Amino acid sequence: MTSLTVTDTIITRALSEGRLLLSEVESKNLLVAEGISVTDAQLARDPDEAASVAESLGYPVVMKIISPDIAHKSDVGGVVVGLTDSDEVKSAYDEMMRKVSSVVSTARIEGVSVQTMAKPGIEVIVGATTDPQFGPVMMFGLGGVFVEVLKDVSFRVVPLEPRDAKQMVREIDALPILEGVRGQDGADLEALEALLLSISELIERRPEIAELDLNPVFAYSDGAIAVDARIVLHSQNGV
Amino acid sequence: MSVDRNRLERALNPKSVVVVGDKGPGYMWLSNMSEYTGALYSVQVDPNEIPGIEEKNIPNFSSITEIPGEVDLVVCAVPRQIAPIIIGQAIEKQVGGVSMFTSGFAETGEPDAIELQKKIVDACTESGMPLVGPNCMGIYNRELGVKFSNQQEQGSGSDLGVISQSGTHGIGISLGSQRLGMKVGRTISIGNAVVCNESDYVEYLIDDEKSPIVAMYLEGVKDGPRFFSALKKLAQKKPVVIWRGGGTDAGARAAHSHTASLATDTAVWDGMIRQSGAIPTESLEDTLDVLAALVHAPACAGLGTALVAMTGGQSVAITDQFQRAGFDVPELSQKSYDTLGEFFVTIGGSYRNPFDAASTIRSETENLEKILEVLAEDSNIDGGVAIELTTAGFDKEPERLAAQLDLLAEYRTKTNQPVVAMMPEGGAVSGQAEVVLTARTKVSESGFPVYPSFRRGAEALARTQAYWAWRYSL
Repeated sequence: MTSLTVTDTIITRALSEGRLLLSEVESKNLLVAEGISVTDAQLARDPDEAASVAESLGYPVVMKIISPDIAHKSDVGGVVVGLTDSDEVKSAYDEMMRKVSSVVSTARIEGVSVQTMAKPGIEVIVGATTDPQFGPVMMFGLGGVFVEVLKDVSFRVVPLEPRDAKQMVREIDALPILEGVRGQDGADLEALEALLLSISELIERRPEIAELDLNPVFAYSDGAIAVDARIVLHSQNGV
Repeated sequence: MSVDRNRLERALNPKSVVVVGDKGPGYMWLSNMSEYTGALYSVQVDPNEIPGIEEKNIPNFSSITEIPGEVDLVVCAVPRQIAPIIIGQAIEKQVGGVSMFTSGFAETGEPDAIELQKKIVDACTESGMPLVGPNCMGIYNRELGVKFSNQQEQGSGSDLGVISQSGTHGIGISLGSQRLGMKVGRTISIGNAVVCNESDYVEYLIDDEKSPIVAMYLEGVKDGPRFFSALKKLAQKKPVVIWRGGGTDAGARAAHSHTASLATDTAVWDGMIRQSGAIPTESLEDTLDVLAALVHAPACAGLGTALVAMTGGQSVAITDQFQRAGFDVPELSQKSYDTLGEFFVTIGGSYRNPFDAASTIRSETENLEKILEVLAEDSNIDGGVAIELTTAGFDKEPERLAAQLDLLAEYRTKTNQPVVAMMPEGGAVSGQAEVVLTARTKVSESGFPVYPSFRRGAEALARTQAYWAWRYSL
């Protein structure tokens, strides 16, 4: 019941504030509560808070801007990676505020999310969206910059069965990359299937969710972890 | 909305049919019913049209309500403004259902037409009456002789059932299947599908004995989740082939004005079809290609095929196509090679698989028999035989082809594996177009899938093979 409470609280708060887009920290907290593997992220509203969050997570950390008005964080200087001590974290905070507000002066800024820096893996995308005819559908594909050009993604209607998850992962053209090329470690395909199934199950259980993007997910030879997360809710009565 | 299955059953298998509003000089709808085995009536109030109907000895009435006894199906061909009146009569008469040829409703996008359609839909929904259409060709039932094209056959037996959102493609799949030696048990042209929608028909077909295989042409669906779950159940029980129209941006625009269908991303649609287990196709000939393999080949999930071509070049071409489509073209056992070595003509021929067999098979059939015996015994071959048939000499000596087909049928019965006839032009198929056509028809009528290109044959067989592999994995 605890996990439901976290999800309920996050969704209710966003809707009561008239927001459909959850922040990255909210999205990740919700996913953690639902048992999905994501990098730990916490909100910090000033340099000292950022440093103390970083201390508690352990270094290195990543810092990202949190603003409902900024979709592409890295384009405006809103992402810094590889911070290794509290001084770096504090100065990165000040620097980020300066940069972001100089680029987008009107953006509402809630603070930053400080998160564990995951070791790099093979980047994949796991998503859920709402189709006008079929309702919730899941999407899977290789991550990175080429995905939008190649459209090498697979779709399935929610709810997924284990065989569907298996096919989704294996039917993309980039499968050989997931399987490992030139002696590099391949991705843990079963972990990716499990992730797809748990997102499908979450979407089925929480019809308030209209869109969910885990982009990227780092896939390792053993396990997989979502590094960024974005959740959009369906509009409810009055919102 | 879910429709009353008993009433839909009556409408799709009607013991009595009334055609409303048919017009001379052709009286298309009444003429389509010339082989109908049940009671046929007409409703027509236009004094100019009535004599022509009476000449056909079809009892004419001024209202559906005046017809004595039950009416299972109303075929409505009146102008659109009159349609609500006919629906009212049908409801009062408590008919099984109405098939509405009348068009000019939501598909036009005109507010008045949309309102008119809504009026009809509301009346049908309130009274629980199944409406097929509007904007459709309606119902074909082979056994009963209910038709919407006079070229549709009447008779017993059924190999497949068809659902089509387009009347043209419903006729195209019906008649195309017939030409390829398949019996279409029923076809439902569903049009705008506003009362009975595609999910109702799919649910009906799950237990329909007249549809052991199902072919569909669709541009969109009304209730995606319900359709998906019904389709999944259907595909788990019988092979389903779905040709979707409107899979491109411009095509989607055309589909919207044709049947008022919403666009779904092609990638989502493709994923949904794969997930359901149905077989996706892209055109009429593609649909017929797959249907021919499903109907005329035994269920088989094996991938090891034997390829028998008549020249060296064709043996390479057919092998490329089968490998590309996902088949193995395995080498045979040493025992097979030993036996083949005893009689096979290797000057200008080979038998490693693929076979280059013209000089061995020649004009007698004895060596074909020997080859098939070897293949039947060889465990490497578990996915059937694709053989290039020749039309040379067919006009003078059709018995030779008939004898070959008998041997191939025997192989199929013995092994329960597919036998696919390849008759592409440019190889062993030559001569007058008419002779080629007659020869291909002979092969189809003998119950073999026959293809005018290696590629089409390989791709059709590959999809049926993948379907059966999926079914066996459930």
